[in-house]
Amino acid sequence: MKMKKQLASSLAIALSTLVVWSCNQSDPAPKGDYISGVFVMNEGNFSQNNGAVSYFARENNTATADIFSAANGTTLKGGVQDYAASEEQGIILVDNMSAGQDKVQFVQRYTFKDEGTIGAPDIENPREVVIVGRKAYVSCWGTDVAKYSTGYVAVIDLTTKKVTKKINVADGPENLVYNNGKLYVGTTQWGAGNKLAIINTSSDEAGSPIATPGTANPVGIDANGKLWVNAGDKVLRINTETNATEASLAIATGGTKTPGNFTFSNDLKSIFFVLSWYDAAGKEHGGTYKFSISDIQIAMVTPLIARPFAGLAVDPSQGLLYAGVSPSYTQAGYAVRYRTDGSLVDSIKVGIAPTGFFFQ
Amino acid sequence: MSGLKIQRIDSASLSQIRYQNIGDVLSAYTPIAFKNYGPGQLSTASFRGTSANHTAVLWNGLNINAPTLGQTDFSTIPVAGFDQLSVQYGSAASIVGSDAVGGSILLASNAPANPLQVSAGRQRESFNNKHTRADIRYSVPLRGHWALSGKTALYDNRVNNDFPNPTRRTYALLPTETFQKGVVQDLFLRSPADQEISAHVWLTDNKLVLTPEDEQGREMTRTTAYRTMLRYQIRTLTLRTAWVRDIIDYAKGDLSRPDHSVTDKFASRIEKDFTVNLGRHLNPLSLKAGGEWTHYRSRVPGYAQMPVSENRTDFFLLSRWQPTSRITTSINLRQGLVTGFNPPFTPSVGLEYGLIQKTRYHLVLKGSYGRSYRVPTLNERYWKDLGNPNVRPETGWNKELGLEQAFSEALGGTLRTSATFYHNRIRDWTYWNPATSYRVENLQQVLARGIELQLHYLRRSGPWQTGLDAGYAFNRSSQEKAYDNYSQDIVGKQLVFVPEHTANANAFVQFKSTRFTGQLQAASKRYTTFDNSQFLDGYGLVNLLAETAFAVEKCRFVIQGQVRNVTDTFYLNVRNNAMPGRSFALSLTFSYDSQ
Repeated sequence: MKMKKQLASSLAIALSTLVVWSCNQSDPAPKGDYISGVFVMNEGNFSQNNGAVSYFARENNTATADIFSAANGTTLKGGVQDYAASEEQGIILVDNMSAGQDKVQFVQRYTFKDEGTIGAPDIENPREVVIVGRKAYVSCWGTDVAKYSTGYVAVIDLTTKKVTKKINVADGPENLVYNNGKLYVGTTQWGAGNKLAIINTSSDEAGSPIATPGTANPVGIDANGKLWVNAGDKVLRINTETNATEASLAIATGGTKTPGNFTFSNDLKSIFFVLSWYDAAGKEHGGTYKFSISDIQIAMVTPLIARPFAGLAVDPSQGLLYAGVSPSYTQAGYAVRYRTDGSLVDSIKVGIAPTGFFFQ
Repeated sequence: MSGLKIQRIDSASLSQIRYQNIGDVLSAYTPIAFKNYGPGQLSTASFRGTSANHTAVLWNGLNINAPTLGQTDFSTIPVAGFDQLSVQYGSAASIVGSDAVGGSILLASNAPANPLQVSAGRQRESFNNKHTRADIRYSVPLRGHWALSGKTALYDNRVNNDFPNPTRRTYALLPTETFQKGVVQDLFLRSPADQEISAHVWLTDNKLVLTPEDEQGREMTRTTAYRTMLRYQIRTLTLRTAWVRDIIDYAKGDLSRPDHSVTDKFASRIEKDFTVNLGRHLNPLSLKAGGEWTHYRSRVPGYAQMPVSENRTDFFLLSRWQPTSRITTSINLRQGLVTGFNPPFTPSVGLEYGLIQKTRYHLVLKGSYGRSYRVPTLNERYWKDLGNPNVRPETGWNKELGLEQAFSEALGGTLRTSATFYHNRIRDWTYWNPATSYRVENLQQVLARGIELQLHYLRRSGPWQTGLDAGYAFNRSSQEKAYDNYSQDIVGKQLVFVPEHTANANAFVQFKSTRFTGQLQAASKRYTTFDNSQFLDGYGLVNLLAETAFAVEKCRFVIQGQVRNVTDTFYLNVRNNAMPGRSFALSLTFSYDSQ
């Protein structure tokens, strides 16, 4: 076992050297202040339009709170819902409190220099972004944020920076998972959706959805190629060939607790998630849990970390668990780092309401 | 009350911005900082480093802060709505009651003296904004030496905000429109035997729509107020009764079925003046004793129950005594009683001492020490889930000390300057705690302290007049107590949207009926988060006004032009949207005076 690990790591080093070497051969090394590190998406306080992308190098424990502002001398003017990057291009989803002011902001990936935007009516209430080849898929609630009855996934051509198509998805589309030519689209828990939409990314057409017991929130694809979906107080394992639900694990919510922030471990064999609730005084409580994809039930007795978080992600390069803490929407939050056994490493002050991480 | 600082805004300054809102006057002449959401949008005051709930707004002595919100949106009060404006600095709770923690804004109606005065005019501004007002003042002698006088005023303001560019430096100028209209009716019936009956009505309606073109995303806030009052004064006895209805309609998307909230306030007040002789060798003592009774009844869709009602009673005893020509003292006592709990007993003492009293120079030392309080608003007590019926009233102790000097002949004119230090600690500061899903809690303790410097200069020589009003204020206002781990990041930090430094200046030169005025308003950076991790940059604005008048018989025409934000300064509002750059206004006002 130990041998195998060593072999794997030496192989990995050799491989990465090869990759670096080959990159050096084909492309010059990227230039900019934000080449290798952690990007934090801060939602900000909705009524103040003060979200930001924070950045820190992994070896540091202080962050630049707003790198877009540092690079461009102007803020993003909204909450940051998501960030993704492809080749040289970064794409930030910006949600403003006022109707018609939301946008997709393009930046140069390593310098964060402004490279243009797409605004309303193409983009209204953007939620998540996934990049597939030279296309970006952005889930948008649309304009109905009273009932969340409608919504769409905007298809953006990254070369022309134009929305080429809007694929209608009802009930407020939200989380996106891409796998093998298919984009799985979940919906917001505030809407009435109880199905997982599937978009064929070669035709950009929506196929028949998968019915789910509650609003669908796709988590990702595990080590065995199975799709995991959170639906209400259940976690489903779905066969991506047949779309059949192969397993359904219950989360003991007691009817009052809400699961969220599902994320895979690096080996794609376990899933972390947060279960949280509010007491009568409005204070949030909860814990962060972990289960294995081979578990037949989710052990809820002791949490991995005895506190809830507003964001959760595992760094693919170091394997640390990054958790977002928001004391409130009126002061800076923290990115707290844990080892995957739940032991604390450190915490880094970032922007307001950190909810997502992007590792580069 | 002696020892308090009161600034009266003169009628010439008011009439210069007769088409604008009270917020424009106060930012030009006082250090009050405004938390502004955009042009024509919500604008609330921070007086001496306190929150929007800590400024009492009185209309002919009646507190007109909305009982649900406990504050006034200064964008909804046009200068056309009142005749006289004074600003009382610092706590005056023993006199005013609740809300007078940072200061008070006093609006009053004056009884006209001339037989007939008519005035009408219109202002056109950049961005297709239009303001219209008309008023008529009259005074008629009646039988038995009684006299009837009154005023009827109308105003109509349309702020379309058609900005030619949707952005400034990539920041949006949010599309909004505000329609404001109102009627004011004052009637005074006076007898020579020191009797007066007066009736006052002020109906006002303010409709604000954000992003009006967006049929699903637009948001409407319509604020309507019916304010009515009847006063009767006979010699030393004054009776007053008032009914105020505040209506707020809010809708998003479909504006035809808004959330409709209605609050009625019935308020009556009785007060009597006494003079107490203290013997042959001492000056008499003046006393004012009185009581106020207020009943609130509110139907708000967001409340846990409908309707809610609340009674508030106040008793007060105010005294003033001038033992010598140099000294004036006052001691004031007040006790409020509110359904469910009682605000603290509220005493205050004040002293004025004439250090130097010469014919051409006066130097006065002023000081006061007093308690203030704020009764929780109806929203804070009754809002579903978030409100807290058991929230305690806030209470504070305000100390201040000031020097005022007046030169009757300096630089060829009159010069007055003042310097005031204040220290105001407020306990049980109530707020919608963002760390507990915005539940109302008495968590904070805030210390606001600072210094205000003011200068007023006026010179008249022949047809020439020149004047300068200038002020500078420093304010440190910070949270003193931590209540959880993360509030360590907040303790000692400046409160949000309270600039540490503000400055304002108004200078004018007038020749006969032609007047040029320059205005400067400046504020240092305003933090936007409790931990001061984010802020809006400081800024300075310059406005220029030019006005000339010509008369034909009894008619008079005033033409005025304004250039606002002359330097095209870029600055941001609370929503992180841009404020407009340079803009223009032109007005023509016609008036007729029978005398």
